[in-house]
Amino acid sequence: MEGRIGDDSHLVDRLRQGDPRAFEDLVIAYQHRVFGVALRMLGSRAEAEDLAQEVFVRVHGAIAGFRGDAKLSTWLYTIASRLCLNRLASSDRRMIREGEETLTRLASSHASPAAELERSELEAALHRAIAELPEERRIVVVLRDLEGLSYEEIAAVLELELGTVRSRLHRARMDLREKLERFLP
Amino acid sequence: MTCHDARELFSVLVDEVLGADERGALDAHLETCADCRRELQRFRDTVGLLRAVEPARAPAGFVDRVLEAARPTPWPRRWLRALFLPWPLKLPIEAAAIVLVTVGVVYVFRATPELQRAARLESTKPAVTEAPRAAISEPSSPATPPDRARERQYMEKKIAATPPAARNEAEQRAAGLKDASRDVDKRQDIDKQKEASRPTPRTESQVAGKKVEAPPARAEREAGAAKESARLPAAPAPESRADALQAQRPATGSTAAKSLAPPDVSGGLAVSDRDAALRGLAQLLARLGGVENRRVDGHEGPIIELTIPREAYAEFAGELARLGRWQPTREPAALPAQIRVVLRITR
Repeated sequence: MEGRIGDDSHLVDRLRQGDPRAFEDLVIAYQHRVFGVALRMLGSRAEAEDLAQEVFVRVHGAIAGFRGDAKLSTWLYTIASRLCLNRLASSDRRMIREGEETLTRLASSHASPAAELERSELEAALHRAIAELPEERRIVVVLRDLEGLSYEEIAAVLELELGTVRSRLHRARMDLREKLERFLP
Repeated sequence: MTCHDARELFSVLVDEVLGADERGALDAHLETCADCRRELQRFRDTVGLLRAVEPARAPAGFVDRVLEAARPTPWPRRWLRALFLPWPLKLPIEAAAIVLVTVGVVYVFRATPELQRAARLESTKPAVTEAPRAAISEPSSPATPPDRARERQYMEKKIAATPPAARNEAEQRAAGLKDASRDVDKRQDIDKQKEASRPTPRTESQVAGKKVEAPPARAEREAGAAKESARLPAAPAPESRADALQAQRPATGSTAAKSLAPPDVSGGLAVSDRDAALRGLAQLLARLGGVENRRVDGHEGPIIELTIPREAYAEFAGELARLGRWQPTREPAALPAQIRVVLRITR
């Protein structure tokens, strides 16, 4: 069940009925995806964990009011994306100050010292390039190319027009193509 | 289709969400443009790199920490957290606030005389309010029977201990005091009769023969007395002076003890004009540094207790003789520094 979502409707039913195990199953199912979005957007593992935790606590408090007309995953991505963008809006300066150190921490999700050393130059360049994207483009490319959401889902999560999603995604990819020029065959 | 238009469609082409018409136009352009074909390949490679990024994994123990954080906190802990955390920030602020409020209160209190006056009144209130109550407890005895009884006992003992030659004088004095207390008793009886004949509604206990004041009348008097003492706390009206003195006695222990002792000098002052004599006596006391302690309306006239300095006593006695016929009943040779004198003023 970890990472991939099975039967969300059954999980939603259990959550609404107050099944004490249901929330735990929800966290287990979505922890990596929510954490991944937070990590790619914020650049710091500690900050990403803090934000991901906040996402689930909010879900726990609001699950009774979840209407079920959107997918559970879309709802989770919506909360995570908003919290990330809000936090970035309030901490722009701090992000700039953290600079290089933060960007290099992005590279590995299992950041042991050995793994850090073995990390390829390409990986580092890739994560650096993503981190350098403007936030409104970064969130679109993260949701599409790293999390695999459709254009329609991204439009729903970010409350954007479909055309805006297409445009931002294309601009983000073109930026990345420029930055990763020397790694392309 | 231009190269720019074609490259704008690369994303939707890669994601396979391109409409059939656009797809046809783009394919036609790519057939003829080698740059755009090369550019499209680089674009596909870039997207390929992005999608090959290893998915992030939440740190170990994340689920437990989320479950712990989502568990509702008991309200006392929430309250304490809100009040004190983060303590390095909140504790100094709260301490500073307490100090500030305290300083403010002290400053306002000092800067506002009305507040200080109110505080003083508040602290002296019990003593002030006791006075009228004590006066009400014995409404018909402006004289002080317990003191008189003590004085009488003292005089009777003294008579028993005095040689026969000196007894006459002492017996006369004791008889005078008995008369005075009888007068008081008589006045109490008269007051009781007046009380009984008052047209106020009677309570059941009054009907049963027990003397109880009607509650409204008592309340009125109490309120009146309280008002009076609040208005003139230091200078009671002359007619209620004895009552007030008696009422204040518990508050001034040493004075009370002193007034229970027999006077140093006592005697009668027979005058033709009582009011003129009282005025003269008041002037005399003022001039000689004496003070009138209390005054009781006796049967034959007022009985005044006063204190006079020893050095002024000779002149005081001389002046008394001018005011009327001064007949001392007790006037020992050895006198204290402050002489307590009891005067009975008669016609």
